[in-house]
Amino acid sequence: MEHHEHSGPMAGSRFVDPKVLARIGNLDLVARHVVDGFINGLHRAPHFGASIDFAEHRGYVPGDDIRRLDWRLFARTDKFYLKQYEADTNTNFAVLLDISKSMSFAGDGRVAKIEYARYLAACMGYMAHRQRDRCGIVTFDEDIVSYVPPSAKHFDVMLHTLDRAQPVRPGRLRAPLEKIAEHFKRRSVVALISDLYEEPEEILEAIKPYRYLGNDIMVFHVLDRAELEFPYRESSRFQDLETGEEIPVVPESLLQQYRELIQGHIESLRAKFSEIRVDYTVVDTSRPLDEALFSYLAHRERTMRVR
Amino acid sequence: MAFLAPLFLLGLAALAVPVLVHLIQRERKTPIEFPSLMFVRRIPYQSVQRRRITNWPLFLLRCLAVLLIVLAFSRPFFRQTPVQAAFATSGAREVVILLDRSASMGYGDTWQRAQDEAKRVIDGLGNGDQATLVLFDRNAEENVRATGDATRLRAAVDAAELSSGATRYAPALRLAQSLLSRSTLGQKEVVAISDMQRTGWERPEEIQFPEGTTFTPISVAPVDPANISVTSVAFNRARFATEERVSVTAAVTNRGPETLKDVPVTLQIDGIQSGSARATLPPGVATPVVFPAFTLTQNFVRGVVRAGSDPLESDNTFNFVLSPARPSPVLVITRDGATPAESLYLTAGLVVGTPAAFQVESMPISKLSSAAMSRASVLVFADVTVPTALGADLKRFVERGGGILTVLGGRSNTLDGEGALLPGTLAAPKDAPGGRFETLGVIDFSHQALELFKMSKSGDFSGVRFFRFRPITPEPTDVVLARFADGTVAMAERKVGGGRVIAFGSTLDGDWNDLVLKPVFVPLLHQITRYLGQVETQPEWQTSGQVVDVTQRVAALTAGGADVRVSSAVVLSPSGRRLTVGEGGAVSSVEVNEQGFYEIRPQGGAASGRPFTLAVNLEAGESDLSAMDAQEFTAGATGRASLVASAVPTVVKPEETERRQSMWWFLLLVGFVLLVAESVLANRLSQKPVVAMPGTR
Repeated sequence: MEHHEHSGPMAGSRFVDPKVLARIGNLDLVARHVVDGFINGLHRAPHFGASIDFAEHRGYVPGDDIRRLDWRLFARTDKFYLKQYEADTNTNFAVLLDISKSMSFAGDGRVAKIEYARYLAACMGYMAHRQRDRCGIVTFDEDIVSYVPPSAKHFDVMLHTLDRAQPVRPGRLRAPLEKIAEHFKRRSVVALISDLYEEPEEILEAIKPYRYLGNDIMVFHVLDRAELEFPYRESSRFQDLETGEEIPVVPESLLQQYRELIQGHIESLRAKFSEIRVDYTVVDTSRPLDEALFSYLAHRERTMRVR
Repeated sequence: MAFLAPLFLLGLAALAVPVLVHLIQRERKTPIEFPSLMFVRRIPYQSVQRRRITNWPLFLLRCLAVLLIVLAFSRPFFRQTPVQAAFATSGAREVVILLDRSASMGYGDTWQRAQDEAKRVIDGLGNGDQATLVLFDRNAEENVRATGDATRLRAAVDAAELSSGATRYAPALRLAQSLLSRSTLGQKEVVAISDMQRTGWERPEEIQFPEGTTFTPISVAPVDPANISVTSVAFNRARFATEERVSVTAAVTNRGPETLKDVPVTLQIDGIQSGSARATLPPGVATPVVFPAFTLTQNFVRGVVRAGSDPLESDNTFNFVLSPARPSPVLVITRDGATPAESLYLTAGLVVGTPAAFQVESMPISKLSSAAMSRASVLVFADVTVPTALGADLKRFVERGGGILTVLGGRSNTLDGEGALLPGTLAAPKDAPGGRFETLGVIDFSHQALELFKMSKSGDFSGVRFFRFRPITPEPTDVVLARFADGTVAMAERKVGGGRVIAFGSTLDGDWNDLVLKPVFVPLLHQITRYLGQVETQPEWQTSGQVVDVTQRVAALTAGGADVRVSSAVVLSPSGRRLTVGEGGAVSSVEVNEQGFYEIRPQGGAASGRPFTLAVNLEAGESDLSAMDAQEFTAGATGRASLVASAVPTVVKPEETERRQSMWWFLLLVGFVLLVAESVLANRLSQKPVVAMPGTR
């Protein structure tokens, strides 16, 4: 319960630039590197484990493991109580990773969005794994590409899946998400990592099934800075990565309007997600991973509190 | 500001190009990949914002470059007021005035008008201008050299006189060309004042005036000229008893458009009218007019034929000089007791001709004496053994200018016994090898005696067969005229004193060869005899501009007879000009360029009898006054008719103004410099970092 007490401003230098991470290549190593550094910054104690986090006492009922009895309390009260720990509240953690073609975009000198999304997924998976959560992953574009059901043993498989994921096809949110939603019977923490090039309503429709099933949903909206700021100066034809459509564009003339539109989109999503209590984070790929990870941790904290 | 090619201004539409470039802007060849054009698509494509010009300096640079280049092509210039133009024109003109002074310019007031035109051109000269006055007929003469002194030029024009020369344009134009090519002044101009006689063009001439030369022909040709001219005279000589009678036939041509009737034609002999006739002259035809014969008794009788009167008087008279045809005396010497048949071919061949070319006398060798020699100019020895006693006489005869033709046969010897006269040494008679015949192999046609046969078809020696001959071996100083095919000398000449000796290596009696039977025999005999006798035939007249060799005549005068020995002679022209020739016996020639009679007298002494006289006439073509028009003349002079400038030189054409100002050149240069600057600037701008889109990982 200590980690959130130190959620003050972190020294950015401690977090490695995504560009540097891109050179490591091995996702496992990346995740360890990031998460360890991240956690070390958060905690003075290196051993952070749910298993020793005391949650509450409850009365003994027959069938409970007598090894969990709080003997000291029994000595004091002459009643049997069981000690319950946080770690015992293991949960499912699933990443829904959008690997549509648009995710392959990389701004000037930055890592591609898909790359960034991989790190993010790997890091979150690693943290979940360390917390003994079961982690799984779904990659999709216009259909489901691969599905790794959440399991305590699936972290490696998850990394492998991440590694293998290649953005080649155009993407859609609703169809694949609806298709996979039925597999999320058990309450899970679901992290959707996508660039969300859909109408906000459509996105909400795609998310809703998960909400109804009682999942906790985090949405990571991965955007390159170029998508946010549209820094082009030269007139050119612009090609849609997914559809291949080309449009002649004079950037300067539409710069302002574009920025307004993308900000409007983000604001609209933010408003709509907050309505249905979905965590929504815009992830700028030029920024270190910490902001996204904070978002994850904050979410975990909140859900744990709630229960 | 005006434009020479205003249509090029349409090119200003090209100004739209930079505007469009700026508005549309260059698109990259490869499209920029973008994750999703979802939002871009929502923005209306055409918006007012797009019309904004991004880089004003670049835009202005492009517009200016296009503007300047278009302006350059439309050839702009600033219009000049007449004063400015006059100043610009007179700034530095090099004018060459070609003034025709040929005989035909004497027609009526043509010469006066030509002088007036010349003065008008001189008056048009401005400050700094220079003019050269060139007078031309057959030749061109630089009368006043490049000067801006109008007074001097006018005086020179006034002092200029007509000549008797024919018109030839080429020398004058070539002189103008060389004058202008040396000139450093900017504006070059040729003004040709002439009656534009068509006969002045001999053939197409390659005249290349310096670039930009203005050629202005000024025609002073008379309109519908009527002209009578005596173009030629023929003589019919007849011997009457001891005297010679000559009848003169004159060819009179009417160059005018109408038939002329009752035209008086007269003949004057030595200043006295000896005949007159009235002739009807149809246009364009030479009409013969025959005068009654007169007796010719003296040398150098002057004759003048005069026909009618017209504005061009000089070609109405025709001069000639006649001397009695005096056959030169030839002595044919045969062996004693020879039959006339032996020398028949020789004597008969020599007397052929009307009137007879030679006065031939035949005698046997025993009768030959120095007195007989003195009567003859040429001795012909027909296979004769000459007694050595005659040697000294013969030598004297030759040294005084006599000629000897020795026809070598079996009896011939060395003439004088010492070998001083015969050109070479004699060998024994020789038969043609193998009983066949020998032919003439080499003939020196460059020799004066054989020159006549030089041309093809003028004498065939190849068919002459020599069966027997007398070889001669000439000294190195002797001249070989002909050789047999085997290289043996057939004919040789030796000059002794003032005379000549020719030896012919075979007989001329039809015995040793068949030369006497060939057509070439008589001309050959006449040529050799004439050469040996140094007989000159003087033409009855010369044409103006000819060069006459008077060496012989001067030599005859200076060699003198018994009277005062003089060393040189004086040539007196019709106008009274004196020219000394023959100093030291050098070759003398006189250019006869005045119409009339030239006299040659010994310097400082009176000649016995009449002086040697030459008659000079105008060239027949000069009477043909048909003129070319100015355009044609210009085309002939410059090779293109486009150089004709207006007759008023101070009016400057727009082309000329534009050429002088030459603004297009600078505009074009600046335009291109701006384009280069545009390229540099545009490259700089395009190198500014735009967001490059590296490929997807």
